Amino acid sequence: MVHSEDSDVYSIRTVNLTKVFGKKKHRGIFGFLKREERKGKSKGEKSVTVALDHVNLEIRSGELFGMLGPNGAGKTTLVKCLSTVLIPDEGTAIVNGFDIMKQTSMVRASIGLVIGGERTLYWKLTARDNLMYFASLYKMPRKQAKERVEQLLELMNLTDRADERLEDYSTGMRQKIAIARALVHDPPILLLDEPTLGLDPVFSRQIRSQIRELCEKEGRTILLATHYMEEADQLCDRTAIINDGKIVAVDTPNRLKAMVKENELVEIACYNPPPDIEAYLRNLCPKVDIITLIHGEESKGTPSRIKIIGGNAEERVSVVLDALRRRNVQITSLNIGVPTLEDAFIKLTGARLTEGG
Amino acid sequence: MAGDATALLDLKGNLFIVWSELVKNIKFLLAYPIVFIFWAIFPIFWFIPFILQGQAFVGGLESQSFAEIAGTPEFIPFVVLGSILNSYVLTSLYGMGESIRREAYQGTLDYILSSPCNKAFILIGKAMSESLASSIFAVSQMLICVVFFGIQVTLGIIMPIIFIIILLILGLYGIALMLAAASLQFKQAHDLAHSLEYVFYLFSPVRYPIQSLPLWAQVVGKLLPLTYALIAVRSLMLLKQGLSAVYTEILILTLIDAALIVIGFYLFNRMEERTKRSGVISQY
Repeated sequence: MVHSEDSDVYSIRTVNLTKVFGKKKHRGIFGFLKREERKGKSKGEKSVTVALDHVNLEIRSGELFGMLGPNGAGKTTLVKCLSTVLIPDEGTAIVNGFDIMKQTSMVRASIGLVIGGERTLYWKLTARDNLMYFASLYKMPRKQAKERVEQLLELMNLTDRADERLEDYSTGMRQKIAIARALVHDPPILLLDEPTLGLDPVFSRQIRSQIRELCEKEGRTILLATHYMEEADQLCDRTAIINDGKIVAVDTPNRLKAMVKENELVEIACYNPPPDIEAYLRNLCPKVDIITLIHGEESKGTPSRIKIIGGNAEERVSVVLDALRRRNVQITSLNIGVPTLEDAFIKLTGARLTEGG
Repeated sequence: MAGDATALLDLKGNLFIVWSELVKNIKFLLAYPIVFIFWAIFPIFWFIPFILQGQAFVGGLESQSFAEIAGTPEFIPFVVLGSILNSYVLTSLYGMGESIRREAYQGTLDYILSSPCNKAFILIGKAMSESLASSIFAVSQMLICVVFFGIQVTLGIIMPIIFIIILLILGLYGIALMLAAASLQFKQAHDLAHSLEYVFYLFSPVRYPIQSLPLWAQVVGKLLPLTYALIAVRSLMLLKQGLSAVYTEILILTLIDAALIVIGFYLFNRMEERTKRSGVISQY
């Protein structure tokens, strides 16, 4: 087997990875008739969806790499191509030094997969039976598999309930078993697709902390596909933003957010702002997009608020504060809204993360 | 794909996969205990229509005109053996074809596909668990035949019969792999399995001797592994012939098996790759 040398540096490297899906044909007799009706109208046109469009990524060994994008952006397709569940139409990927097109067995042995939500295990089997079964698919000797399963059950704090059927587990517990399954053959690379989807905040936090530990303490490379920006922000060393099958940007979460630093929000709570304060500040900060005064019920102790959006907050804060003091405005608080990854995403793609599709 | 070809040749590893799958499926069966009631009661009920049919047609359980074609006047043991072997057809075809669909519904298909083992062996493990259920059913029916219909089962013929049944099952697994391949693309194999079930039922001598069929239908019947298995088993059990009398049937059955298994593996692996390329494999 050829083991690529740069696998020491990069655990995953995609080269022009492209996946195109044909749109579903109409099914059944009515569908057939519909298709016949439409034949004349769409003659020659082939209806396709480009799920991945020449994706080039380099994920370093030991890195926790985020893939942030809305539903339908291509995250799951990328994970499925990397895990050899789907075969790309163009390009390839090198996973742990093995080509996904030519060395499928080696790629499969190198990865652990968490994909597809809650119902991905056998609910009629116990947690232990589930893990033992999936260990067998990797041809692990029984004794070794047993030891590994015990380790993982302990890691997930589920040893006491290991012999209960998964139908009696909570969603969060089942997700822990799904992660344990991904680890059962001790792969150096984990591909996690929305691992906290549908979990309550407590379990989400537990799963996130486990993901971080798997990377930091055990040195595994993790590709985390998510549409939760906080997840990508908190966990990932670097994050790629994907939209419509294209990688729009790749960087650390902080650098991605810095891309939208000029859109920082400054909010000043104050009393006695003069009526012309908006125009006054606009003259002082011409690069700012929006300056708004929101009147508060000052007599009842609710201050008015001045909102300034656009421009670099660090540059303009002192100018604005000096100006307000000069106009005898009584300042009670100042807040600078830090831009989020979602802001970065919106700036880069023009779409919102919460959009369906 | 190179990886799959390597996985195909790892005999010990693949037998381990088959075993794990078999154990998993037996655990599934145990999770639904009601099925045992079915196995315990149904073999008894199964005989009643045939006894009544015999009474109505020939006034008893034996027929001389039947003996002229089949070699034995007792048509109930004849039909029981047909039914027992045919039950392996049903469980193999339905079990393997639909199992892919079940895995997709359970959300586990992607995990199986992303594991390094050859998936055809997982399907064989699934089908084996179904064959095991058939065997329990067959043993119950055979016991009834021994107790109530005087069929003699000696230790000397048990092993050859098991051997013939295994040969039959192997050929059926080849056909079932083809159905599983169809299931990957078309998302259901039930109707196809249903059609094949009737082909077996009609053209193989399940309920009547093959000589009852028109000549062209006998030719079709001779392409089916069940035909040879039935002829061989009935010769041993009902006509009290020795193993040497059924060598030809065993040889032809072995050749059909080899062809069906090779074609089954080839088609399944080709279809797996094709559906991974088209993306159909991930659709439900």
